[in-house]
Amino acid sequence: MIRVRDLIKQTNGTRILRGVSFEVAPQTVLGVIGASGSGKTTLLRCLNGLERIDGGVIECEDVHLDANLSEHEYSRRVKELRRKVGTVFQHLYLFPHLTVLGNIIEAPTHVLRVPRPKAESEAYELLESVGLRQAARRYPESLSGGEQQRVAIARALAMHPALLMFDEPTSALDPKRSAGLRSLLRGFVTRGHTMVVVSHSIGFLEGLADQLLYMEGGEVVEYGETDSILNSPQDPRTKDFVQQAQ
Amino acid sequence: MPKRLPGELPALIRCGLVGLFCLSSVSAQQTLRWGADASGGAPYVFNDPNHPDQYIGYEKEIVDALAAAMGRKPEFIPSDWETLVSALQRGSFDVIVNGLEPTGDRAKQIQFSKPYYIFQLALTVRNDEQQIHSLTDCRNRVVGTLGNTAASRLLQKEGVPFRGYAEPLTAYRDLELKRIDAVLMDVPAEVYYVSKSATLKRATEPFFRGTYNIGLRKGDNALKTEVDAAIDKIIRDGSLEQILRKWNLWNDAQLALHIPAKAGQASNNVAYEMTSTSFNWREALWRLARAAGITVLIAFGSMCIALILGMPLAMGQSKGPPWLRWLCTVYIEFFRGTPVLVQLLFLYFGLPTIGLAMPGSLTALLGLGLNYAAYESQVYRAALEAIPRGQWEASYLLGMNPLLAFRRIILPQAFRIALPAMTNDFVSLFKDTSVAYAISVWELATAYRELANASGQFLLLGAAVSIFYLAMSLPMAHLARRLERRLQRRQAVEVVETEAVESSSQ
Repeated sequence: MIRVRDLIKQTNGTRILRGVSFEVAPQTVLGVIGASGSGKTTLLRCLNGLERIDGGVIECEDVHLDANLSEHEYSRRVKELRRKVGTVFQHLYLFPHLTVLGNIIEAPTHVLRVPRPKAESEAYELLESVGLRQAARRYPESLSGGEQQRVAIARALAMHPALLMFDEPTSALDPKRSAGLRSLLRGFVTRGHTMVVVSHSIGFLEGLADQLLYMEGGEVVEYGETDSILNSPQDPRTKDFVQQAQ
Repeated sequence: MPKRLPGELPALIRCGLVGLFCLSSVSAQQTLRWGADASGGAPYVFNDPNHPDQYIGYEKEIVDALAAAMGRKPEFIPSDWETLVSALQRGSFDVIVNGLEPTGDRAKQIQFSKPYYIFQLALTVRNDEQQIHSLTDCRNRVVGTLGNTAASRLLQKEGVPFRGYAEPLTAYRDLELKRIDAVLMDVPAEVYYVSKSATLKRATEPFFRGTYNIGLRKGDNALKTEVDAAIDKIIRDGSLEQILRKWNLWNDAQLALHIPAKAGQASNNVAYEMTSTSFNWREALWRLARAAGITVLIAFGSMCIALILGMPLAMGQSKGPPWLRWLCTVYIEFFRGTPVLVQLLFLYFGLPTIGLAMPGSLTALLGLGLNYAAYESQVYRAALEAIPRGQWEASYLLGMNPLLAFRRIILPQAFRIALPAMTNDFVSLFKDTSVAYAISVWELATAYRELANASGQFLLLGAAVSIFYLAMSLPMAHLARRLERRLQRRQAVEVVETEAVESSSQ
């Protein structure tokens, strides 16, 4: 589904990502863990093209992104990449001037040019799947944080992305709601979705992620099956992080 | 000895009082404070182009001669034509000598000396004009003239559309620039300006007769007697004729004044057509309403320009390449940093020198629009900067291009933020339309000045004009507030509905 090789990102001479490599198979979930400042969020922003990469390769289905591409070609391919990748931000960035329904159908009707009635019925299905059908005509402002997050998920899914990415999805949720979100996402995976979830919460990723990638200082410290990383971490740094989290 | 004291003290006091009285009367005796409008006032009284700190003009010379005959020292108080009468009443000076003709309206407020000049009116057209040979040919044209003069009243009476100017020069220049079709003006101004122009000519021989008199406060009868005597004196000794000949203003019409005076006939029975139209409230309100219409047109037109032009300015300044940023910043700082009045004068009088002559109302509309665009661009910029970057990024990640993201996501949010400031600017633009008075656009402020000066009804007309302004700006503020509220309420209503749903489900 998505393959990343030797990804390098630097700003003002500092390397934020120092050669990150991984691969996500279809219908699986990759959890990216690490402390603040480890480069997790920057990695995500490279994967959806918000940051230009300075080295390495990103391959997502038939889109091939390479640091050596010309500016013009790079941005052309980023547009293709964005058709395949959906992102749910930590701060969501719902459109406050549009209703829940408006938020969801905005891009399908204006970017994909789906007829409005069709986009709306799809949107209602998506809202149904995240349990917010009754909120369609409300404005985001009037929803709780958890509800807003589910609207953001529905908004991303409305573009039929091959890969769905989350940045710190549990930062505004209490433990009960985190568990609810986890089972919601798990459900999407069994229905065929693929995900990259960036989080500092091991508890949330346990039981959701098939694979874990532990980052520190812009480097991949350890990468493998979730069970083996959590139960028998090889690197002392991973061991530290896992122990502190538990 | 003891007897002398009581007598001595009163004597001393008496001496002192007399001395004070003498001093004050001497200084009053010595000056003749006269008021006139020297800006664009040639040939009456104006700044000497060669010595800009000095005043010259035929009326200045007449005042010098009169003051000499009265044994007084003339003191010139520069004033404004439109407010001469009220300034005289306020006591800013003692006499008006500014080609003032007696009218019924003015006679209610001040009194007049005997006439010192008989003026006629001259109709001026461009050299290539074939159609206009008399005032009646101007029925469907626009004639320029000075506001609140015999000429303007005659045009009004004849039903000829006219534009009131503050200065003869600008009227003649607009005629040359084809902004108007003819100019009707008193002969002295016409002689001075048209004789210098190669492109203007008289449409017909001067017609109409009226008199210039000196204006005095009611009750200043001693001064009036003195002034009348001085006028007789300078006519008899020929010094008035000499001054008029020097300025090319002597003509046979003057004989009607000079022959009887020289013959020693004390009373003057020169009675001419009085152009005074008595003040008519219905007509005044009608003219105010028309002026209000023009004000609204200018305000709305220029706000449209400002709102449309402000957007590319804001985008250019915040997102453009360096040269464009620089250009937009220069534009914005220029228009915000210089007075809108100066900008209008520049557009109206400056641009014609490079061949771009626009009519006054269009100039006002464009000038205010360009000016307010600078302000609106800053309102936009602040509003756009208030939108989190994440809104752009979220739009991009949903596949939108920058234009679509801007139009559908950013702009609607920025509009809400900008709305209160924009409303504010519009109300202030509305009031700023009054600067258009400087370029002779007949909007509300001009209407107020001209009507109030013609009638002396400053208070009542001022109230009427204020009501006009308020009647237009209050609904606008109200409308904007409602729009703001509607944008907010749309969300508020949803909140209430939600709460109702939640409480019922519990």
